[in-house]
Amino acid sequence: MINAASLVDVKNGTQAKSIFWDEQIYQLELERIFDRCWLFLTHDSLIPNSGDFTTAIMGEDEVIVVRQMNGSVKAFLNVCAHRGTRVCSVEAGNTRSFTCTYHGWSYGLDGSLQAVPFENEFYKGVLDKSTHGLTEVRAESYMGFWYGNFDKTAPSLYDYLGDYRFYLDVWMDSTGGAELIGPPTRTLLNCNWKTPAENFVGDAYHVGWTHAASLSVIGGELSALSGNKMVPPAGAGTQITTRFGHGLGILTDAGPALLSGKVGELARKWYADNRPKVAEKLGKTRGGYYGSHFNSNVFPNNSYLWGTNTFKVWAPRGPRSIEVFTWGIVEKNMPDELKEAIYDMATRTFGTAGMLEGDDADNMESMTQLNRGRQIRKGRLNSQMGMGDDKVDEESGAIIGASAVGETSYRGYYRAYREFLMAESWDDLLKVDPDAWKREFLGK
Amino acid sequence: MDGLKAVSHDIYHDVEQTLYQEARLICEERLRDWLNVMVDQDILYQAVSRQLRVRKDARYILKDHVNIFNENYHYLEMRVVQSESPMQWTADPREVVRHFISNLEVYEGETPGEYKVFANCYVVRNRRIYEEMTYSYSRKDVWRKDANGQFRLLKRLSEVDERFMRGKNLNFIL
Repeated sequence: MINAASLVDVKNGTQAKSIFWDEQIYQLELERIFDRCWLFLTHDSLIPNSGDFTTAIMGEDEVIVVRQMNGSVKAFLNVCAHRGTRVCSVEAGNTRSFTCTYHGWSYGLDGSLQAVPFENEFYKGVLDKSTHGLTEVRAESYMGFWYGNFDKTAPSLYDYLGDYRFYLDVWMDSTGGAELIGPPTRTLLNCNWKTPAENFVGDAYHVGWTHAASLSVIGGELSALSGNKMVPPAGAGTQITTRFGHGLGILTDAGPALLSGKVGELARKWYADNRPKVAEKLGKTRGGYYGSHFNSNVFPNNSYLWGTNTFKVWAPRGPRSIEVFTWGIVEKNMPDELKEAIYDMATRTFGTAGMLEGDDADNMESMTQLNRGRQIRKGRLNSQMGMGDDKVDEESGAIIGASAVGETSYRGYYRAYREFLMAESWDDLLKVDPDAWKREFLGK
Repeated sequence: MDGLKAVSHDIYHDVEQTLYQEARLICEERLRDWLNVMVDQDILYQAVSRQLRVRKDARYILKDHVNIFNENYHYLEMRVVQSESPMQWTADPREVVRHFISNLEVYEGETPGEYKVFANCYVVRNRRIYEEMTYSYSRKDVWRKDANGQFRLLKRLSEVDERFMRGKNLNFIL
C-alpha cells in the first residue's frame, strides 16, 4: 500500500524520488489524477466544421473529439462496443460516421450505434443497439480550449481552472482569443510525465543554464540570461500557483522572448499596440502581464509557453515514458504573416528539432532513469527556492512568489498532487474550506 | 517517367560522391565546413511529419503536415553556432550521427546547372551511454553547381516516415 501522504512534504518543499519511477504510484496517479482531472483534448480551431474530429489521449485512454451537426462537441472512447477494436485509426478528419474495421459496426457523430452488418440475420433481435453506443466522455471548453473528464462528480472546467483563469485570460481573452496551429508533432521521451510538467509550471531557474548555448545564438530578451551571466533584476517577474496545482511563471516584458530579427519586431509592435486595450479590458495588473513571457501548466499534464508560443500535452505511457504532443499557439487576431513567423520560431525552439527542446530532454530523462537505482530512488527532490516569500495575491486569489526565479509553482503543483492522491473522491476534495490549501501551503 | 530527364554517369557519380561527403562531414561534426562548402546561400531546408488521415477525406480543410525544419541560411547558421558552443551540453560528450544513403536518383533540374536528387536515408544516432536511435526518411533535394564546380544544396525536403518519433527529436542535420 502506498503512503501517499509521505510522497510530498508540503511544509519543507520536498518530494520522494520514487514518484518518477514506481509502478504502483503510477497506477494510483491514473486512478486519482487522470481519472479525475480535466485533460486537454483539442481546440475549436482544429475542428471548425460539423463532422470534424481529432483524436486525443487522456491518461492512457484514446479518445475521439467530434464536432456535432448542431455545432456542439462530444468526446468518446475510441473503442468499439462489440469486441474492443479502435473505431478511428486516423488522427483527424471529417466524417459522417465511425466504422469499426473488424465487423463493420458503425457509429454516428453522436456516438450512437447506427448499423450492425446482418443485424437481423445473425443477432435475431438479441442485440440492444441503444446500449451499445460509443462510451461518452465529459467534454467542456474554456475560450475554445476543449478538455475531457472521466469523472461525473468533478467540478466544471470553469471551476476546476478557478483562480488560474485570472492568468489564462491574459492570453485567452485579451485580443479576441487564442488558437492552436496543428497538426501536432508526436514524439517519445523516456521520462516520467511529471518531469516536463514541473519544469513548465515553474522553472525559470534552468533557463540560463540548460539553454545557455541556444539562448546565446537565438536573440530576444532571454538571451541576456545565457550561461547565467546575469541575475534577473527585482521585479523581473513572479511565480504563481493555485488551488488544483495549475501554475505559471511570468517574466515581465520578456514577451517574444526568443524572437529575433523581423518576427521579433513584428511581435513587439503587436504587443505594444494591444497592451493598452488589454489593460482597459482586464485591468492594470493584467495589462502589464500581457506581452510578458509565461511558462505554465494546467494540472496535471498540459503545458504552454506564451511568448515562445508552444502548447504541449505530456501523455504518460507507463511511469517512465511519455508521448509529447506539440502545437503552435497564437492570438486569433494576429495578422497571418505574424502567426506564421511566430509558428516557425516556435517550431525552431520547441518543435521536434527545436533548439531548446533537445536541451530539456536529457534532464527529464536522467531525472527519471536514475531511479532504477534503489539508493537513488530512496532520496528526496528539493523545491525550496523562495520558501517564506510566498503570499496570497488579493487581486487574483492565487499564491504568488516574490521573484522571477523561484519554486513556488513547483510546490503548489506537488501540494495539489498529494491532495489528489490522498482523496478518495471529488467529494473529499471539495468538502474542505476552499482557502484551506493556502494555509497549508504557507504553513499557517 | 514523371517528366524527369536523366543525367550523365559523370554527373550521377559527382552527386553521389557529394552526398557521401556531406554525410561524412555531419558524422565528423564538421558542420561549419558543411555550411561553408556545401550549402547555397539561397537554401530552403525543410523537414515534415505528416498527420494520418483517411485517404479519401477531402472535407477536412486543415493542412496535414507539420514542419520539423523550415530554415533558410541564417537559421541553419544559428544551429551550427549553437552546436559549436562549449555550453551545448547535449553535444558533450559527443554524439554520432551516421547516415546510410541509398536509392539515389539524379535528374536534370529546372535550371541548367541544377539537379533534382531523390534519396532514401537511414540514420543511426548514438549518444550518451544508453541511447541508440534510428530514423528513416526520404529526401527530395535540389543541388546547384557553383562557378567553381562545387555542388551546393539549394533545397531539401525530408519527409520522416515515423509519425510517433521514437528517436525523441531530430536535432541533427537530416
